[in-house]
Amino acid sequence: MQNVVLKGYKDGYEITLNADADFKAILIDLSKLFAELQLEKEKSEAKSLSFDISTGTRLLDAEQKQEVEKIVSQYPLFSIHRFTSSVMQIQDALEMIENRTVHLNANTIRNGQVENIKGDVLFVGDLHQGGILRASGNVFTFGKNEGIIHAGFPNDAEAIIIGNIHATQQVRIADVVDILEENQIEDSAETVVFVNDLHVLAYTERAKVKMIRPKLFTRMGGY
Amino acid sequence: MGKAIVITSGKGGVGKTTTSANLGTALALADKKVCLLDLDIGLRNLDVILGLDNRIIYDIVDVVQGRAKLHQALIKDKRFDEKLFLLPAAQNADKSVLKPEEVKDIVDELKPDFDYVLIDCPAGIEQGFINAVAGADAAIVVSTPEISAVRDADRVIGLLEKESLDEPPMLIINRIRTHMMNDGQVMDVDEITRHLSIKLLGIVFDDDQVISTSNKGEPIVLNEKNLAAQGYRNIARRLLGETVPLMNLDSEEKKGLIQRISSWFKKN
Ligand SMILES: Nc1ncnc2c1ncn2[C@@H]1O[C@H](COP(=O)(O)OP(=O)(O)OP(=O)(O)O)[C@@H](O)[C@H]1O
Ligand SMILES: [Mg+2]
Repeated sequence: MQNVVLKGYKDGYEITLNADADFKAILIDLSKLFAELQLEKEKSEAKSLSFDISTGTRLLDAEQKQEVEKIVSQYPLFSIHRFTSSVMQIQDALEMIENRTVHLNANTIRNGQVENIKGDVLFVGDLHQGGILRASGNVFTFGKNEGIIHAGFPNDAEAIIIGNIHATQQVRIADVVDILEENQIEDSAETVVFVNDLHVLAYTERAKVKMIRPKLFTRMGGY
Repeated sequence: MGKAIVITSGKGGVGKTTTSANLGTALALADKKVCLLDLDIGLRNLDVILGLDNRIIYDIVDVVQGRAKLHQALIKDKRFDEKLFLLPAAQNADKSVLKPEEVKDIVDELKPDFDYVLIDCPAGIEQGFINAVAGADAAIVVSTPEISAVRDADRVIGLLEKESLDEPPMLIINRIRTHMMNDGQVMDVDEITRHLSIKLLGIVFDDDQVISTSNKGEPIVLNEKNLAAQGYRNIARRLLGETVPLMNLDSEEKKGLIQRISSWFKKN
């Protein structure tokens, strides 16, 4: 395999950097490639092009990415769309698993405490007034919910909250907040909170999850 | 080896110092050797409630800063023959003169010589609280039935649970006014205990005599007949491992059964 391979797809270009090749040699070949591309380009009409850089089983560090970007940035018409690879750091992989796991949590979250969860949470503990249950994903709760529930922290507006939020002080999803008045929400274990198309918190019932979040519904095994 | 218990609350004025004085006295009456540690530096009043304020020569800051030995600063309460001692707080100093390790050293030095070291914590959750908790093996959280006090208690319990104490914090509900509780105007004992989900060590009624006896330097617990005093005595007995039933909430006014049931219905 060559050090650098250019492929065209229907929706763009991909440059594969041979994972077994010496990185310095790759950079040299990459410079040559772009110089040639520039010459080609000058013959045709000027239209900007964006590339995916695929590094296969090699992971580029920040410095190496910069060196690649430096080469491309010499040509105003060319840009890098993104770097991809077929491997990842174990730490990133663990984090990804963490973010996709439903964590069972039975803690007591007291006034002034914040419980941070990566991913979804199935909460069966006690959330007291002034306490915050905060998940990067969805919150499913059977617990006592008298404090503040925050799903999709900090910015996942697709996240939802399901459970009894009759006595809850506030619900938050991503950057949207509702302060719940007494008796605003009915005393039901099947209340669903989500961010609607107007980017406002809306309330519905469990049976509607399939409609408002079809992806989540199928992930949960619904059909 | 004795046990060090911090008496704390978060909110001010709910009865930490009154509890320290009365619980300490009740334990001394039960033949336990007790040292009270006043950590409300700058605002000491445990000494006043015990009627020992005239006898202070050295205080805890003197001990920490090497001006006095620990045993020189301890004040003996002569009413209880070698059973009750007080290490007073400093009056003209700030909470920040003490460091948590220094307080812990003092508590550790006291523990072998006493059955109980009761630490009277200042209000708040800052330096004074951190100092008071530093040497403690266990904690008593005092709350009144007011929502704000219960909220602060919750906050403090959260902080205490993060400390590695030997046992989970225990609760005292102080200043109970039965008619308000029975009328549902304030949270009742069950609600508060369930909300805070810690063990209830006892309840103490609101009683004018608590204030008047404090003013005279005689802890209320010495007055056997008084209901608040019985509350403190029961708390001491539970601390010593006895099983004592909770005081009846209508004993204050000796309400009839009918009245009790009707007030119970009113709540719902
Ligand atoms: N059970 C009671 N009945 C009536 N009065 C009480 C009772 N308990 C405490 N008090 C009164 O309440 C006031 C505050 O009590 P105390 O000083 O013990 O509170 P504290 O929590 O130590 O306050 P601080 O936070 O200022 O240290 C005092 O005047 C005390 O006499
Ligand atoms: Mg006090």
